[in-house]
Amino acid sequence: MAQIFPKFSNRIPLLVLVLTVLLTVSVVVFFWYFASPEYTDVGYSPEQPVAYSHKTHVDSLKIDCRYCHTGVERSAIAGVPPTQTCMNCHVLIGVNEESLALVRDSWFESKPIEWIKVYKLPDYTYFDHSAHIFAQVGCESCHGDVQSMERVRQTKSLSMSWCLECHRAPKDHLRPASEIITMKYVYPKNQLEFGSQVMSEKNLTPPTTCSGCHR
Amino acid sequence: MKISTDNGVKYWRSLDQLAETPEFKKILDNEFPENPPGIAGGALSRRKFLALMGASIAFAGLAGCQRPVEKIVPYVKAPENITPGNSLFYASAMPFGLSAYGIVVESRVGRPTKIEGNINHRLTKGKSGALIQASILNLYDPDRSGALRNKAQEASWSEFVSFYQELQKTFIESQGRGLAILSSSFASPTLFRLYEEFTAAFPEAQWAVYEPVSDENIYDGIKAISGQNIYPVYDYSKADIVVSLDSDFLYAESDEISAVRGFAEARSLKTENDTMNRLYVVENMYSTTGAMSDHRLRLPSSHVAPFALEIAKELRNQGLEIPIPNVRLDGFDRDAHQKWIQAIAKDLKKHKGKSLIVAGKRQPPYLHALAAVMNHGLGNTNNSVRYVSLKDALPPSLSSLNRLVESIDNGKIQTLIIMDGNPVYNALVDMDFAAKLAKVKNTVHFSSHVDETSRQTTWHIPAAHYLESWGDVRSNDGVRSVVQPLIEPLFNGVMRAQLLNLIVTGKDENAHDIVRKTWKSIFPELDFEKKWRKTLNSGVCEENLYESEEVGFNSENLGNLSKSLNIENLSKDALEITFAADASVFDGRYANNGWLQETPDPISKLAWDNPALISLNTAKELGLKNEDMVSLTCRGRSLELPVWIMPGQADNTIAVSLGYGRTSAGRVGNNVGFNAYLLRQTSAKDFAHGAAVKATGKRYKLANTQNHGSMEGRALVREAPLTEYQSHPHFAAEMVEHPPLESLWKEHPYDEGNQWGMTIDLNACTGCNACMIACQSENNIPIVGKEQVSKGREMSWIRLDRYFSGDLQNPEMVYQPVTCVHCEMAPCEQVCPVAATVHDEEGLNVMVYNRCIGTRYCANNCPYKVRRFNFFNFTKDYPHVFQMAQNPDVSVRSRGVMEKCTFCTQRINQAKVKAKKEGRELADSEILTACQQSCPADAIRFGNMLDKNSNVSKSKMNNRNYAMLGELNLKPRITYLAKIRNPNPDLADTKSQI
Repeated sequence: MAQIFPKFSNRIPLLVLVLTVLLTVSVVVFFWYFASPEYTDVGYSPEQPVAYSHKTHVDSLKIDCRYCHTGVERSAIAGVPPTQTCMNCHVLIGVNEESLALVRDSWFESKPIEWIKVYKLPDYTYFDHSAHIFAQVGCESCHGDVQSMERVRQTKSLSMSWCLECHRAPKDHLRPASEIITMKYVYPKNQLEFGSQVMSEKNLTPPTTCSGCHR
Repeated sequence: MKISTDNGVKYWRSLDQLAETPEFKKILDNEFPENPPGIAGGALSRRKFLALMGASIAFAGLAGCQRPVEKIVPYVKAPENITPGNSLFYASAMPFGLSAYGIVVESRVGRPTKIEGNINHRLTKGKSGALIQASILNLYDPDRSGALRNKAQEASWSEFVSFYQELQKTFIESQGRGLAILSSSFASPTLFRLYEEFTAAFPEAQWAVYEPVSDENIYDGIKAISGQNIYPVYDYSKADIVVSLDSDFLYAESDEISAVRGFAEARSLKTENDTMNRLYVVENMYSTTGAMSDHRLRLPSSHVAPFALEIAKELRNQGLEIPIPNVRLDGFDRDAHQKWIQAIAKDLKKHKGKSLIVAGKRQPPYLHALAAVMNHGLGNTNNSVRYVSLKDALPPSLSSLNRLVESIDNGKIQTLIIMDGNPVYNALVDMDFAAKLAKVKNTVHFSSHVDETSRQTTWHIPAAHYLESWGDVRSNDGVRSVVQPLIEPLFNGVMRAQLLNLIVTGKDENAHDIVRKTWKSIFPELDFEKKWRKTLNSGVCEENLYESEEVGFNSENLGNLSKSLNIENLSKDALEITFAADASVFDGRYANNGWLQETPDPISKLAWDNPALISLNTAKELGLKNEDMVSLTCRGRSLELPVWIMPGQADNTIAVSLGYGRTSAGRVGNNVGFNAYLLRQTSAKDFAHGAAVKATGKRYKLANTQNHGSMEGRALVREAPLTEYQSHPHFAAEMVEHPPLESLWKEHPYDEGNQWGMTIDLNACTGCNACMIACQSENNIPIVGKEQVSKGREMSWIRLDRYFSGDLQNPEMVYQPVTCVHCEMAPCEQVCPVAATVHDEEGLNVMVYNRCIGTRYCANNCPYKVRRFNFFNFTKDYPHVFQMAQNPDVSVRSRGVMEKCTFCTQRINQAKVKAKKEGRELADSEILTACQQSCPADAIRFGNMLDKNSNVSKSKMNNRNYAMLGELNLKPRITYLAKIRNPNPDLADTKSQI
């Protein structure tokens, strides 16, 4: 009797096994990479209604972050400045600048500017800016080198594991109070020692349980 | 394991349970009934549902590829003091009848979200009640009237102003002839100033004051014997013996918050050596006050007055000076109650000067006069009761409304302005107010909704909510407060002062200026600004508080008053009907408030309805069952409504609550319940005999929450008489015998940092529902509707369990608030397949909404049955304005998610961050949970259990402390303090007798 299966069919089970493993691994890797916030969210840089440049204002003009983001030290929300803050200067500077038309409209017609949110946390996550400033975490740690950005770009994934990296090992990320708004900050060699010192001085206990951030 | 039966008390939750009917067993077996008929109330078949779901998943897949764009919209010009993310707190006051509640309102970026009591205010002292808590939802009621109307057409305020100004010119000439105002009662310096200006400017005009539910009987009774316009103010903390004559002073009477506080104070027990007060309640329908009583006698409403008279006579026989005319009230069987009368009189005499007799507002003036004379004879005047003369107050007067109606009939009124109130709905039915309105040429109605009355008037003016208005109030001890707006009127509402000022002066002025003008006569000009700002800031002006009036009673007039009493023999064919303000919707004004509608009645535990309550005996005699529809007839009027058998209701009586059956309340309140005002008439206003019921053969489903989560006869509530507590102080902890509690695995120590715990004092809790609404407001708990409630799917995180014990006919009642007890060894956590419920290091049982996949295993494994499941996306279709009532610090949950009490983890976190930033440790009692903050009885303590000096630790050291189901070794963080009653030994054998 002739054989039903040719000889190469002996290798089919092996082939199927290998292909299944490969497929599974590639699907996992695909989603692991492409569906992660590192891929989907980092680099998000929507065009804003007003082409406000942090580079110009912070890098060239040396304006302090807290001049505009006034709530950062005393509230959970750092805050986006009211049009009034823009007009403090732009009532004199760049009065005919075309890129500022919307700001002037907003001011004279009492119509708020609708900025597009870049750094977005899920609604069930409650982040407190003031607590982090108090703990001496630099702006840069989460927002990146904003000073050099023409248009604000998300630089960190803001995933829970990313938050926890720091909450579990905060010593690596704390800086002197005077350096909080510094960009491109270089951590000193004795960072661990310094971090421990801040932790004990301010009695910092970053929460790592759910209730720390979720309510 | 065995439950000690030392005190022989057997608890039961409803008659069905005692009867062990198959329906009850079914509910017990099936706490979350599966396969309800159809999805979403049967409107959607399963197949259709799946088809729709398939489509929405497909769309979701596409939409999911793009990151949704969110906007940040900052101010153009930022107002001073507002920092987004931080709350601001403003002192204000909530006007209510002739008094006011001092409150503090939390505002978030200009949006009021939560109301608390004002700690500076003598009446609230930082505490609040269900109506105060829920009043914020009325502000965001999407059905509020948004526009002024003239003959059902939209009109503008300026049109009305010019219309009225024309009219006003004629009134000035005619001294107000043809003009009438019908207002609700108020106590407000500004409104009263305008009232006085009105009567001076228009002496020919009429002003009537009507409240469907009021204290008018109290004023009338006391005026009859004192000749003065004075009003009793009670101090329950000074009374060792309280006799309530049909008075639900812990819930339904005026000034209930300070009553609860004073009463709880006189009842608090730190050790077994402390003394506590004793409460006798004589009433017709079970009330929360009756539930707190040590002795409760059920009597028909009309028999309360003769009963009181017998006590007065007994006191006089025992040598007290109680001058009462020798009246005999026929129709009352004294001998049947001999024992009660003697025991109460003896107890009162023994505690002369430290007792208190209070009569309820439903009772006729006679009883109020009698109670005042008895209190006087007992030396209670100026101890537990004092009399004040209210200033700046316009009390309600039914006779003024009668006069107004008469004038309308005679064609004397051409312009009628109705300020607040809803007389077409709630005036006595024999007045036929709607027909009277039609006889008046110009009718104006000022109200928050286009309600039953607004639909019949030519003009409707939208009223601003009190949180949107400038105004002022005076509470019944004389404290004046300014009502300040937290937000611009959301619905173009007009402020009360603004309208009344227009009526009086013809000028359209700003309410802020009108109120300030009044206050300029209160404060000297020199420091006006300073004092005005101080009053705004603290919420109170304590100058010129009411002094106690010198009183002398002329009891001769008691004889005249007694002539109006009518004591009849009652039978199943001639029942006595009693009308009561509803525990949730009051007189109907809160009918469109979903929070209140869904909060179960404290006694019947029914939500969304108002059945007629009857006693077990009467039901048997009439052959009625729960939920039978009956036709209830009272003096020629009739109404169809369902009946509910209420243990403890007096036989041959029937009680109905007012405020339901509205037709123009709004989407929540329309056609909910039955309109009992249709039976209420001049001859049957508070209670009346001669009612009859006839079964119609129909049935009606009521949303009953009382059987849900029954705990099957275990010693959950523990209570004892005072004498047993004295001889056996640790009775509560020792009530349940169990083997040594050992764990199978190593337990987490929880021995550092803050370890949150709570105690609830069952001896203080009056079951007033304040905590439930405070929790709902703080934690964004959705409203689910009657149908879901009847399926056992109510969402309220706090459940106020009510147990009956003892005699079927007249049982004792006890309340137990139950919420997540935060077990250290939580059974819910062990069965969650996705670790959506876990513990944090401070001992909180945390619910992680975003991990939850909705298996509901946790709810099934929770022995306390405190977990709530979102069967539908209740929050998705919230109207925009309703969303503004949500607390931004708490996640709004979606469908398929379990939720439960979090110990207000948002408040804990905020306080922790604040303390850390200020470089200090958390202080004790710095964190108040929402329920604790509202509780007028101060029954709840919360704090760090590791701090031995904290309030909660001290409370847990009380020897009445016990853990509910502690024998399961769950280590609950909430423990209870056992309830103690203080029965009179002379009445020891009456419990089974009545």
